[in-house]
Amino acid sequence: MWYYSRNGMQLGPLSTEELSGKARGGEVSPSDLIWKEGMPDWKPMAQVPEFQSTSGLSNPPPVGMGSVPMQQPPMYPAGYIPGSVPNYLWQSIVVTVLCCLPFGVVSIVHAAKVDSLLAQGDIVGATAASKSAKTWAIAGLASWGLLIGIYLIFVLIAVIGAAASGP
Amino acid sequence: MHKDRALWASLAVLALAGAAYALRETAGKGWMPGCVFRKLTGLDCPGCGMTRGTYALLHGRVAEAFSFNPVGMILLPLAMVALGIEVMGWVRGKPMPFRIKPGRWGATVVAVVVIVFWIVRNLV
Repeated sequence: MWYYSRNGMQLGPLSTEELSGKARGGEVSPSDLIWKEGMPDWKPMAQVPEFQSTSGLSNPPPVGMGSVPMQQPPMYPAGYIPGSVPNYLWQSIVVTVLCCLPFGVVSIVHAAKVDSLLAQGDIVGATAASKSAKTWAIAGLASWGLLIGIYLIFVLIAVIGAAASGP
Repeated sequence: MHKDRALWASLAVLALAGAAYALRETAGKGWMPGCVFRKLTGLDCPGCGMTRGTYALLHGRVAEAFSFNPVGMILLPLAMVALGIEVMGWVRGKPMPFRIKPGRWGATVVAVVVIVFWIVRNLV
């Protein structure tokens, strides 16, 4: 959950998606300070790894400053805190072992990539892998829950049917 | 310390305990749905055997539990302990001082082991 500061007011909490949406819509600018639990201090949005792609989109680098495309070599951005990109490995293992669907395996593969990408300094790639791991784990859990729910309804109908038809 | 988070965590522990109790008492009666992947494809998934394995484990039959799904029997308790520690950190608002971190290679090894196990158990 993110908080952001605008015109001296602290606003939020918002999810990452909601804040990205606001950034794209121009309601939050890359220089606005944002914070979430776990960060030691407020940071300009442009320096927070989760929003680097978003803020880059909404504000192209100004022309006239020797307009070289902003293709920086991979490196840890100033605001990066070790451990701030979760790998969801344990969650994906639980989903794989309990949910009986291959989604969990996809999630584990993405989860395994997170720490390797972080070690290479690819924060954007690691964040993307982290998000994929989370998405596939949720997909596995949700589809399993749905199937179990449908199954239980059938069991219930069968039980009621048996009771209604009598001996 | 977040009271609302503590409440959610307690509810989750209660739900787990309830599920374990239901599994221990009734899984042998054949009402549980079994694996969807196996029903659809006829193949074992990486988690197949965990219901039977946990049922055996809850009745104290450890060797039998491992024979149903050795990889799952190791990974599931490990993941549950690791997640439990993460949840404790989440409840108190900052990570616990001791955490189980797979690290860069550990995570890759887990991914490879699960996939190899999945393939091998369908060949043997």
